[in-house]
Amino acid sequence: MTTIRSFMTEDHRRCDDLFAEAEQAVGKGNLALAEVTFGHFRSAMLAHFDSEEKTLFPTFEAKTGMRMGPTQVMRMEHEQLRSLMDDALAALKTANADDYLGLADTLVIMMQQHNMKEENMLYPMCDQHLSAEVPAVLERLETELCEP
Amino acid sequence: MLAFENAPPFAAPLRFFLSAPLFAVLAGLLVAFEGPDIFASRWTPGALAATHLITIGFMLQVMLGALIQILPVVAGASLKNPLTVARIVHPGLSAGALLLAAGFMAGMPVLLASAAFVLGLTALFFLAVTARALIGVANTSPTIRGIKLALFGLAGVVGLGVFLALALAGGWSIPLMALADLHAGWGLGGWAGVLLAAMAYTVVPMFQLTPGYPARAGWGFPNFMLVMLVLWSVAVFADWPWLARLGQLGCALAGIAFAGLTLRLQGKRRRARPDATYRYWQLGLIATILALILLATAAVWPAAADLDGWTLIFGALLMAGGFLPFITGMLYKIVPFLSWMHLQNAGQAKVPAPAMNKILPEIGMHRQLLAYTAALALLLAAQFFPALLTRPAGLAFAAANAWLWWNLLGAIRRYHHHRADIEARLTTP
Repeated sequence: MTTIRSFMTEDHRRCDDLFAEAEQAVGKGNLALAEVTFGHFRSAMLAHFDSEEKTLFPTFEAKTGMRMGPTQVMRMEHEQLRSLMDDALAALKTANADDYLGLADTLVIMMQQHNMKEENMLYPMCDQHLSAEVPAVLERLETELCEP
Repeated sequence: MLAFENAPPFAAPLRFFLSAPLFAVLAGLLVAFEGPDIFASRWTPGALAATHLITIGFMLQVMLGALIQILPVVAGASLKNPLTVARIVHPGLSAGALLLAAGFMAGMPVLLASAAFVLGLTALFFLAVTARALIGVANTSPTIRGIKLALFGLAGVVGLGVFLALALAGGWSIPLMALADLHAGWGLGGWAGVLLAAMAYTVVPMFQLTPGYPARAGWGFPNFMLVMLVLWSVAVFADWPWLARLGQLGCALAGIAFAGLTLRLQGKRRRARPDATYRYWQLGLIATILALILLATAAVWPAAADLDGWTLIFGALLMAGGFLPFITGMLYKIVPFLSWMHLQNAGQAKVPAPAMNKILPEIGMHRQLLAYTAALALLLAAQFFPALLTRPAGLAFAAANAWLWWNLLGAIRRYHHHRADIEARLTTP
């Protein structure tokens, strides 16, 4: 059965794969290709954040009344990740591989520990509290994430 | 119950990370000071003291500090007051490691008994607060369950250790060697090995972008390891040497399978460039496999363990070659990342934080890795040419760990510098 947890976790892994493509391009010294693939990664991440901030989090907040709790922390981390991705893209645009590597390292850890909190805590909470709404929420998330 | 924003203050884990390398320096200096005699057997006071400076002073120190930091993130289990926990556990471990080393060196019962008392209470306290945080956390990942099982390993190694120290202090008549082997098995296999595997299930795929561990390995390894240790324990108490050897063989084969699998996964990593952490892990995995081949061989053919230097080479390969490189590699990610994270939070999205490689530059880590590898090679070679190489090996080991300390300290100095800068910029609009 598809749950919010399994569906959104799947999308995290899809973003990881796109990030890995950019890493491989940098590894081969092809910064132009890296810029394109990193762009794909960034779009996928931004779409993921948007679907959470516009659909999943508000539904969770409305149902549980927790407005300043976990979702607020996740929003803050989204901001930090957005800014890291902007900086990393800028480093690729100016062909500064060293800056990119430092930012990418920070980005990977930040992104993964953020994903871990969502996958291990927030999504299971969503599945638990939104049990009645899960099919409808999933349908909306699916449209948002599959039609960029 | 939620652990989203209660990331512990930096001061909680940092004290463990910054003092651990100093214990390894001390162990190296002890080897240099004692000279060739220290490696006459694994039972010399110097060898016992150096081993425990490494296992308690370095390994346990970092492991408990890191658990205080990451339990909220990986398991959603937050300790009630992480800074207080750190303020109790850190001096407990530090004093305990020093007392124990001093007790071995001086052969003084009162020191050994005090060490047992301090370390036993410290571990008991840590186990109680983590158990309280972990109760009710569902086993939704092999990492969470692995951490829980590792805590049984910690209870096992400390329980046996306290008993052994008291027996030595009181001159009790017990099968000392068989129990000391079992104590090492619980410590290196049940606690350190299971904890390392539990962390690897998460950190290897996520941070090195490798394929995930197969589910059977992730859930099966900790179980298998603990079952083998229970068999081995039964064997010691029932005095069935063949069963003890079977348990040792099982632990060794499980460890080889885990390390081999990790090597294979790392071969498929998709990061842009091998960094110091990755190279430290490669070193650690290869040394671990070699060490465990020695252990498996001795389990099948016990006479091997009587060969000159066999057990000491095994210990050096597993601890100095395996666990220390794994831990150092992780410290090289944890410390700059936590620095970045705390700077980022201090900047309140108005002042940007410097990237991790500006806080701890790659070149410094890489050179320290080379120095450490050279020290390890000397330490192993010293088992074959003790008269010539024991002192240089001890000094090299101390120097490489002092360098690790210096690198971490540099990161923290840069952290404080940026922190002051951020605060100044936030107050002047």
